[in-house]
Amino acid sequence: MRGTSGDGAAEPELGLGLSTVGEYAVISVTGEIDMYTAPQLREAVRQLSAEGRMRVAIDLTPTEFCDSTGLGVLIGARRRLSDAGGSLIVVCQNPRIRKLLDLTGLDKVLDVREAVPGE
Amino acid sequence: MNGSRHDRAGGRADPVTVRFAFTPAAAYVRAARLVAADVAAHAGVATGLLDEVRQAVGEACTRAVLRHRDRGLDDLVRVEFSIGDRFVAKITDNAQDLRARANGKAAASTPGGDARASDHDAVEEDTLSEEITLIVLGGLVEDLVVTGPDADGGTTVSMSWPLPGSGSSGDH
Repeated sequence: MRGTSGDGAAEPELGLGLSTVGEYAVISVTGEIDMYTAPQLREAVRQLSAEGRMRVAIDLTPTEFCDSTGLGVLIGARRRLSDAGGSLIVVCQNPRIRKLLDLTGLDKVLDVREAVPGE
Repeated sequence: MNGSRHDRAGGRADPVTVRFAFTPAAAYVRAARLVAADVAAHAGVATGLLDEVRQAVGEACTRAVLRHRDRGLDDLVRVEFSIGDRFVAKITDNAQDLRARANGKAAASTPGGDARASDHDAVEEDTLSEEITLIVLGGLVEDLVVTGPDADGGTTVSMSWPLPGSGSSGDH
């Protein structure tokens, strides 16, 4: 997933893998989510909802790094999906990111799971 | 950069400083946090704290970029690391508001015509994110001070971490 820029430049990379588990469209995120890459994740969620996929799981277990911008995207995605009658779950077994969710109290706001339901 | 002395053996000599500045664009925040982790590792910050340094400096730089973006400022964000009794990181912006504004009006003048400027959701998340950066920093960093804004400039986020043998373990 890394080094795909083609010119050898060391850019922050974000890999978004799409799959379906049960009734959820799953976005599996590799690489680093920060203010540079977060728009790609936001767009991926938006694209899914545009296709009528309103139950979305964002899997942060393989994510190398996530900052507050990424958390902002999670909050925005949850709100937009909820408003449209859908839902967002955040899958995370990554201790660093769990700590971040815990620090911010977002573990109580977001639906954080160990695995995608039905997996 | 003006930091060449990494040899801290034989007592604490003059503090070492690494200082740089970057255009307030999202693309450079990663560079700043990677430099932070590298300089901290050179300084001798415990391996278990390096992730915290990387995250915290990234959050502070993100906040500074958001503040400049919100005000339409293209001034450089300033970053300074110093290695003395503790490893100290200071990130300084030039935005004089205490917080980013709660609406996206200023984003229309974002320099560089960033495509996100017209994206209401993105602007909303940016505003949200400045708040979250401070929440994350407050939860993550034991020694954290945010000063300013003052007449001469914006705010500075100052953070420090212990160095081995400094005699100042957790707090200061």
